[in-house]
Amino acid sequence: MEPRVAVVGIGHAGFAPITAGLSYKELMFEAAQRAYADAQVDPRADVDSFVCCSEDYLEGTSIFDEYVPDQLGAVQRPVQTVAADGLFGVATALMLIRSGAARVVAVEAHSKVSDVLTLGAIEQFAMDPVFNRPLGVPALAVAGLDMNAFLERTGLTEEHCAMVAAKNRTNALDNPRAAYPADVRPEDVEDSAPVYWPLRELEVAGRADGCVVVVLAAEERAGDLTEAPVWLLGAGWSSGSPTLESRTWGEADFVARAAERAYAMAGIEDPGEEIDLAEVDDVYAFKELQHLEALGLGTAGGLAEMLAEGELEADGDLPVNVSGGSLGQGNLFEANGLARLLECAEQLRGEAGERQVDEAYVALVQSWRGVPTTSAAVVVLGNEEGT
Amino acid sequence: MREKVARPDEVRRWPGDFPVAHRYTPGLAGDAFLTALRDRGAILGSRCERCAYTYVPTRLFCERCFAELDAGVELGPEGTLVSFTIGFVGLEGEPLDRPVTLGLVRLDGADAVLLHHVLDPGDEPLEIGERVAVVLRAPEERTGSILDILGFAVAEAESD
Repeated sequence: MEPRVAVVGIGHAGFAPITAGLSYKELMFEAAQRAYADAQVDPRADVDSFVCCSEDYLEGTSIFDEYVPDQLGAVQRPVQTVAADGLFGVATALMLIRSGAARVVAVEAHSKVSDVLTLGAIEQFAMDPVFNRPLGVPALAVAGLDMNAFLERTGLTEEHCAMVAAKNRTNALDNPRAAYPADVRPEDVEDSAPVYWPLRELEVAGRADGCVVVVLAAEERAGDLTEAPVWLLGAGWSSGSPTLESRTWGEADFVARAAERAYAMAGIEDPGEEIDLAEVDDVYAFKELQHLEALGLGTAGGLAEMLAEGELEADGDLPVNVSGGSLGQGNLFEANGLARLLECAEQLRGEAGERQVDEAYVALVQSWRGVPTTSAAVVVLGNEEGT
Repeated sequence: MREKVARPDEVRRWPGDFPVAHRYTPGLAGDAFLTALRDRGAILGSRCERCAYTYVPTRLFCERCFAELDAGVELGPEGTLVSFTIGFVGLEGEPLDRPVTLGLVRLDGADAVLLHHVLDPGDEPLEIGERVAVVLRAPEERTGSILDILGFAVAEAESD
């Protein structure tokens, strides 16, 4: 499809349990400055349109989309907010560019969750007010129910989930921006306290502040802006049933639907063969396995075997969450998708340092909006060798 | 690079909160469910014949094929435990004095599941697939709320 669209610049700020002293605007300004420097663009002249991704309740401000233009260099310019994960913003940018409405688009997502004092209440407020909220339980219960249903359906065990948590937290040791790196063994995870059993404390990503800004451009401009374009080969998104009663439990069918669209656009026929590395949602450890399964990268049993044999490590057949994932980098909420895209862009540019994956040409990025949602987006990226 | 703050506790912060209050309309379908629950202790669902799928609670429309549905199928009161979880923390992560158990139950006659508390599961560990039954509040205490259901109890324990 024409024109081809590339990531030509990316910048981040924060990625810490707390970014004390910096306001959310300053956090966004810092990430935007770096992204524009990376792309060598002046936002006041060169960026045609801006897309932000945020949710009012998490920001503590009504009509939050009014609060974003100034710190991005977007005053008096086309700006829109998508109330979703950052990858939905990337999909929106793709449409803006493909439709000819813009040639260069900046996409932003952030988390200033350390300022949120009642996060549990906000998440619970996302549950059905008549049939679910009166039960008085946190949205985290949804993760516990889904994990148990997933283990029952697949025959996987708590040990497999503990191995994911250990892998990702340990991977984060090689990622200088990770907020929660730790030398953790699966036994430590299994010994950690249950929060919503079978889900345990060390299987839940810790909260973090951070911001990521991505600059995307049509092919005609991409050549001027970067020597190492990372091509956006495909994007797809999908929502399952919002209703707890009638959704598919233990299975991320909405991720499978999003992936089908992204793969079709990217011309991916055998993801297991064609994908060189993946950054997928692991806000709860079991979700990594559930999402990989939905992404068509293996059966649950096959993936568990790969996990046990180290094939999901940086030097394995299918490196997954080499960045440390959300478990290692921290849960950045609406910025999770862009944090994963950041990692993949660095890998495809060969700039991932200690954790550089060999022969990284095509990367898969997936995000999920967290409990109690069933919304996901999938993006396929490739460097010059991967297209 | 800007200087990192050495003492985050001493950073200036401005407090702010916002009272949020709503009232929610359960709608035609929700009203039928809550009224039947209060008045008859019945659990109503909606059947989509085209999809061969029975929703619970009742629905005005099918999310699979977009057909209009009516409330008319009575479900349960027994069913099968599809999943469960045991909570040890409260809303903001604070430890609970007593753990809470929640279950997803596919009531007999339904395809959708109902989410509710599992009452006093006792010392026997719960198992996915086991039979449970809905336990209702006494008729005079019902108000037309999902809390007119007290929860699910393991069916075998009931028949002892």
